[in-house]
Amino acid sequence: MMMNDMAQGAETSSGRRIGEVILDLQNISLSFGGVNALTDISFNVREHEIRSIIGPNGAGKSSMLNVMNGVYHPQKGKILFRGEPRQKMDPHTAAAQGIARTFQNIALFKGMSVLDNIMTGRNMKMKCNLLQHAIFWGKAQKEEIEHRVKVEEVIDFLEIQSIRKTPVGRLPYGLQKRVELGRALAAEPSLLLLDEPMAGMNVEEKQDMCRFILDVNDQFGTTIVLIEHDMGVVMDISDRVVVLDYGKKIGDGTPDEVKNNEDVIAAYLGTSH
Amino acid sequence: MLYREAGQFKATYQEDQQIFPIRQDRVGMAVILAFFFAAVPLIASEYWLQAILIPVLIFSLAAIGLNILTGYAGQLSLGSAAFMAVGAFGAYNFMLRIDGMPFLLAVVLGGLCAAVVGVAFGLPSLRIKGFYLAVATLAAQFFIVWALVKFSWFSNYSSSGVISAQEVNILGFAFDTPILKYLLTLAIVAVLALLAKNLVRSATGRRWMAVRDMDVAAEVIGIRPMRAKLSAFAVSSFYCGVAGALYAYTYLGTVEPEGFNLDLSFKILFMIIIGGVGSMLGSFLGAAFIVLLPIFLNVSMHTMFGDSLPAGLGSNLELIVFGGLIIFFLIVEPHGLARLWALAKDKLRLWPFPH
Repeated sequence: MMMNDMAQGAETSSGRRIGEVILDLQNISLSFGGVNALTDISFNVREHEIRSIIGPNGAGKSSMLNVMNGVYHPQKGKILFRGEPRQKMDPHTAAAQGIARTFQNIALFKGMSVLDNIMTGRNMKMKCNLLQHAIFWGKAQKEEIEHRVKVEEVIDFLEIQSIRKTPVGRLPYGLQKRVELGRALAAEPSLLLLDEPMAGMNVEEKQDMCRFILDVNDQFGTTIVLIEHDMGVVMDISDRVVVLDYGKKIGDGTPDEVKNNEDVIAAYLGTSH
Repeated sequence: MLYREAGQFKATYQEDQQIFPIRQDRVGMAVILAFFFAAVPLIASEYWLQAILIPVLIFSLAAIGLNILTGYAGQLSLGSAAFMAVGAFGAYNFMLRIDGMPFLLAVVLGGLCAAVVGVAFGLPSLRIKGFYLAVATLAAQFFIVWALVKFSWFSNYSSSGVISAQEVNILGFAFDTPILKYLLTLAIVAVLALLAKNLVRSATGRRWMAVRDMDVAAEVIGIRPMRAKLSAFAVSSFYCGVAGALYAYTYLGTVEPEGFNLDLSFKILFMIIIGGVGSMLGSFLGAAFIVLLPIFLNVSMHTMFGDSLPAGLGSNLELIVFGGLIIFFLIVEPHGLARLWALAKDKLRLWPFPH
């Protein structure tokens, strides 16, 4: 509990200063009919940190992310984003506030090229209307090129220059995950939600992805909420970890604290009877 | 060897974002446009212009409309012919009831009427998808045709419901010969095709495709599915409406609501399926295929069998071969003629080497 309220100003693993609480979840409960997906969960996310959510399958991790960016609406509890309470919000509002995410099962736009997918990520920042798009001259073209420059920065950052014109459906799994990260980054989010970005990858791909996540956190100061099953990765790159099991919070703190938490050990390894 | 992009470097994003980034494509397009604008009027017979080229152009426009909705935004529709009817009757009534109405403005207004009706019938798309949506648009098809017959105000109380298109006159210049009507149709279709291409390569088009490919992810990025779907319905219906107005004014001259029946809707749907779903080129290829093939079959039947076949058998044979060819094409290349063209271009770039 002590470390849970880690002092503001402490260094993150990547050397960033941890700032104020930007997302505060208080007593969140979410149920679908009779199934309780989340029960009375409270934790917060501080600016610039890498916050991991772990737990066995079905623990409610993805539901938690869906609550954060407005896809699900919790029946109980309060969410404060940058100190502002929000009760009901749609994903559009979340995107406007600077929350971007990736999905557990790749949710790219399969028929579009890598470039178009990442360009779509800048949707919220493109202001021209349909008529201007139809004429595609002057303002619309200028806007398209401005955003293309930003998108090319993301492409360079993720080292996917060679595949920018490839339809994403033709790419191997690991690259698709990278493109999805690119699409989220293109929105220049302040809070980035990553749902199992390393699932199904081999060791090298995981190392690449870890590097990108740490670089995003370090270079852009983006706050990251991460769901991941690879404990090595989680313990290495997270500043704080929250552990869910059966929709309840069973642990919260630094990686070391969580590792030694008895409830967590019981949830993962079982207990002797 | 001729079709190579080697040596063509793009130094700016503007160059990279052109519709035809490869020089050979640009030259090809210019040649095609010059051919249809300058050469065709000189060499084509009246029959070719009126019975083949004008309808191919008009159906291409309708197919572009449906392709925007189905191919790019992923919303299946069986109401294209009805939206064409709205455009035709809309333009007719604007011409009829407002003195001195410019023809082009009437066509645009007819298209806008179709857009409004399209948005209204697109509302179910916010709740339902796929085949169920197709059934909902079927309601548009039947309702609109019924309404145009039932309320004879639309056809200016003509007893049979048939409307006769007024003379086409732009700035005092009468478009009364097939050549002029062809050129007018070609110009309108060329401009609208360019605008459609611009739309689908812009943020609007990306929003449509995002909703088509993965609507949850699109929403999380901040795209409003409602806005994307309804704008697709509006633009699509606008294109169908303009096509309908041209159908009445430059192609047939007289139309009745029953002419815009479900058969026509299916015909347009076949055009985009055979031409290529989600492709501008495909809209043109599909329209040309569906219009030309029956004529080609008819002619070849006559040259093969002469008059020895009974009339009924001949026309049924044509239908059988037509259906068979459609199935054949769909099996060989389910993504349509446009994909065949793209594959051919890929091969051409490497020719004479296999890889």
